[in-house]
Amino acid sequence: MSGKVLLETKDLYKEFDGNQVLRGISTQICQGEVVAIIGPSGCGKSTFLRSLNLLETPTAGSVVFEGKEITAPGVDVNKIRQKIGMVFQQFNLFANLSIQENITLAPVKLGLMSKEQADKRALDLLERVGLPDKANAYPSMLSGGQKQRIAIARALAMNPDVMLFDEPTSALDPEMVGEVLELMRELAKDGMTMVVVTHEMGFAREVASRVMFINEGVICEENEPQEFFGNPRNQRLQDFLSKVL
Amino acid sequence: MQNFVEQFTLNFIDDNRYQYILQGFVNTLIITFLAALLGIALGFLVAIIRSGHDKTGHMKIPNFICQVYLTVVRGTPTMIQLLIIYYVIFASVNVSKIFAAVVAFGLNSGAYVAEIVRSGIMSVDEGQSEAGRSLGLNYRQTMQFIIMPQAFKNVLPALGNEFIVLLKETSISGYIGLTDLTHGGDIIRGITFSPFMPLIAVALIYLLLVTGLSWCVGRLERRLRVSER
Repeated sequence: MSGKVLLETKDLYKEFDGNQVLRGISTQICQGEVVAIIGPSGCGKSTFLRSLNLLETPTAGSVVFEGKEITAPGVDVNKIRQKIGMVFQQFNLFANLSIQENITLAPVKLGLMSKEQADKRALDLLERVGLPDKANAYPSMLSGGQKQRIAIARALAMNPDVMLFDEPTSALDPEMVGEVLELMRELAKDGMTMVVVTHEMGFAREVASRVMFINEGVICEENEPQEFFGNPRNQRLQDFLSKVL
Repeated sequence: MQNFVEQFTLNFIDDNRYQYILQGFVNTLIITFLAALLGIALGFLVAIIRSGHDKTGHMKIPNFICQVYLTVVRGTPTMIQLLIIYYVIFASVNVSKIFAAVVAFGLNSGAYVAEIVRSGIMSVDEGQSEAGRSLGLNYRQTMQFIIMPQAFKNVLPALGNEFIVLLKETSISGYIGLTDLTHGGDIIRGITFSPFMPLIAVALIYLLLVTGLSWCVGRLERRLRVSER
């Protein structure tokens, strides 16, 4: 494991209307790590991910980002989120804006870049995600795979220190999964710290530096991928893997 | 045919009676336009407060005031509101009838615009807001740059409809003695005792106005739909 601790959760609990979704999750994510989170649906893995940038407010416990407890009262969560990129299952590109505007909106409005800088950065990023000709298109004109690559570019435009992926390929047609995974693989290779909730076991095995199995709101097992898939110890994980592999 | 010309002359040409209709037409336009502006301003404000409250739980007192406003305005007839505003609220201050009408119709329209806009805000997928917030935009920025433009586009047909209703509703302005289009036509009827010409003329003018308004809304809709092609 490399680098310093970037993101840490301490005994995280989340309850929705009497339903305990997270029951005490403590873990650390270090710089440069790629953590894949797997688990049955409804197990709390998405809730856990969304707690990391406080899209969900934990009921109890704390989240520490770059040494700062962001769940503490009085923390400017908007400032924190600038450094935590997020990619959603449903892409969530801004439907009223062109692709270029989707990418430049936040950096410009938050005063991080001038309009010119942001435009240039957007074109660079579009080049990087392989869609340089889509700058003036609108989200509704793109395929799912293209949308997700744009969503990744949009998150990258903020120069985040960590990227959260919430089932980034689950809403894609099968033939488009590859292009998105390929891009994520490149990101990982470039050293981006990533936390990925996924059902793509192949991706978890090949790209992740650590795989985490969440079930009923707790981390049942976490390990480096070879050991995780090759020699699962937890009974529930063994069942799960036997069904999905 | 001769009869038609005679009737026309009697109702519109003699003593320059067309002036009543003209003056009423101008008043109707002024009232509708200013009331629509007031309605939009109020409606958006109320919608933003209400949906903000629903989402964050903040702004309890403003939300309560908005609720009372919506309940009262939507729960009483427009005509009564107009009469109360002119004869009760503005009773002791000397304001023009047009001003009173603009306030009454603007307050009235605002309530309906508010609910239309709120439905538009709710129609925008939650993911749009989450994506904005995840990038570090605050609530206001997310609303301003992402949610409201989409909400506005979604509710444009309903808003257009509301302004058509507003335009026609101003026809009750005569109840405070204001010469709007309807009242102007009615004055002529009172003088000439021939109802056909003035009433049909008034109806035709309303029809033309509404058709023009619908056309404008339709154009705006098409312009805003660019991003969906």
